[in-house]
Amino acid sequence: MSNKTILICDDDEGILDMLELILEETGYKIIPIKNSLHIYDEIEKQNPDLILLDLWMPVLSGDQVLRTLRKNPETKSLPVIVISASREGERIANEAGANLFLAKPFDLDILIDRVQEIIAA
Amino acid sequence: MFGEILNNYTLDSLKNGEFTLSENSIKQDLSLLIQALDSSISGIILTDNQQPDNPIIYCNKAFEFITGYKRHEIIGHNCRFLQKEDRGQKERSILRKAVEDGAECVVEMRNYQKNGTLFWNELYMSPIKDEQGNVCYFIGVQNDITRRKKAEQELLHQQNIMESQIQERTKSLKESEDYLSSIVQTVRESLVVLNPEFEVLSVNDHFLKTFKVSREETEGKLLYELGNGQWDIGKLKELLENILPTNNPVEEFEVEHDFPHIGKKLMLLNAHRIELEGQYKDRILIAIEDITDRREIERRKDDFLSIASHELKTPLTTIKGYIQVMQRLLPDSVGDKLKEILNKTGIYVERLNSLIAELLDMSKIQTGNIELHKETFDFDKAIHEAVENMQAATKTHHIIIRGHATNNYTGDESHIIQVINNLLSNAIKYAPDSEEVQVYLSRVSNFLKVSVSDKGMGIKIEEQKKIFDRFYRVGEIQQRFPGMGIGLYVCDQIIKNHGGTLWVESEPGNGSTFSFTLPLDEGRFNEQ
Repeated sequence: MSNKTILICDDDEGILDMLELILEETGYKIIPIKNSLHIYDEIEKQNPDLILLDLWMPVLSGDQVLRTLRKNPETKSLPVIVISASREGERIANEAGANLFLAKPFDLDILIDRVQEIIAA
Repeated sequence: MFGEILNNYTLDSLKNGEFTLSENSIKQDLSLLIQALDSSISGIILTDNQQPDNPIIYCNKAFEFITGYKRHEIIGHNCRFLQKEDRGQKERSILRKAVEDGAECVVEMRNYQKNGTLFWNELYMSPIKDEQGNVCYFIGVQNDITRRKKAEQELLHQQNIMESQIQERTKSLKESEDYLSSIVQTVRESLVVLNPEFEVLSVNDHFLKTFKVSREETEGKLLYELGNGQWDIGKLKELLENILPTNNPVEEFEVEHDFPHIGKKLMLLNAHRIELEGQYKDRILIAIEDITDRREIERRKDDFLSIASHELKTPLTTIKGYIQVMQRLLPDSVGDKLKEILNKTGIYVERLNSLIAELLDMSKIQTGNIELHKETFDFDKAIHEAVENMQAATKTHHIIIRGHATNNYTGDESHIIQVINNLLSNAIKYAPDSEEVQVYLSRVSNFLKVSVSDKGMGIKIEEQKKIFDRFYRVGEIQQRFPGMGIGLYVCDQIIKNHGGTLWVESEPGNGSTFSFTLPLDEGRFNEQ
């Protein structure tokens, strides 16, 4: 179960740290990305099994990233969980093609459950 | 009387309608004529033009009566003695000229009786000429027209009074018109008056200022042709030509238009078809409020709150996560006190989170900008899920759900779930000593109905209405259950936005039932 990789993209360092700490504990390999501009390179390099993606990020927003991923045949079916504090988050995430949306602040147990479900699938 | 005279005398000198004089009848005839003259109610005099100053040589009884003078006081005088000191009358020159020319004339003049009483004398003067055409005598016939004159003068007086009243009223009308027009010009809203052909009859100063035009290029022109047709706006046409004729007045009609010079304007229009009996028909008054800036400010405020809530929630996410990590990492050996402290911290972080959400909701609802994302969804399933989630989070209460509403409802699912969550959490929060909350789904006519009942403290009748107000919280509850108190206000607005009703039935001590209805016939609601 531990050879899976999760890429987390969020411009907030606190959230990145916190998520890294928790998810590493469950045995996953974590790739934190603060600047969303680097996400495509990292995806190509690391070939993650799941992405946790924030929406409101400077320069390149999460829904832009997600749309691009969905257009690319290689990343088309890559599982993506959108995490956002935006009020419109759920609608934006669904329209952009997310597998799941979790509103910030989320419940850790729920997050871990969903992550495990999606990775196992 | 006159008839008697004719029976007793024969007028020998009057034959075939003409006087012919014979020696033996002259005396008798003369006396008869004099009697006739004396019977006249008109004063009659003869003046002798052949003597200096044209003296009176004959007057009848009526002349004595009219003037109040006796015959001996009259004969020998010139007629003007009746004018006494009132010598300035312009009629005298008419008389003088008639005497000089030997012509007839009629004048009305002020004369005075012997005792000084004024009387109006209508004087008819006619010359008597000899065979050579020289004027020998004048006949004067006088009528006392004082009463007629008085009536005339009274009439004139009345006319003058009336005229001055009219002037006064016109003045006060003008003043009140000025007053009204100064109001119209001072108002900070654009006003336009159109005739039925949509020609601009008048606009106020604020219109000129807002749309940066002059009065000359506006008034008297067709609305649609103003400023190269910049007022030829589809929605405005729709209002004037289709809506206003059947709906009068129309209020709060929103028109957005990009004007060539002043840019994009968002306008709120009130239109009123007006008619003033007998003066004009079907004029159209349009009041235009420029809400461009206001809408922009509202939008910025909403943006600000959205950003603020997003930014506040971001660190909250981290805090919440770490608290949960701490709870997990806590060794079993640690004391209950620390566990309790961590739990409470978690609860208050959660409360902070919902306060941020409430703040955003309230701001959106207040400005009317709450957007509904309507989609068809399985209503019963959504409610069941919401109940399950709530049940999972509460250990103190048992939530029982019964009945069926619909599997097919079109509305904003997330908003409706927000309502049911709010009602459920209230039911749990405000009934801490009971164990049961009931949810009942049903259909009533073309509405679905959801009821949430608790067995809690209940709400006093006088407080039942107020609980839907913003910031209102039932008095004693304020201390025991802190929060912002906008939950029910937001719920009420959401249900209203869906065309439904939210209400409460409650008795203190016997629990409360909050119910809402939503119309199932979506199409019909939209038409209303």
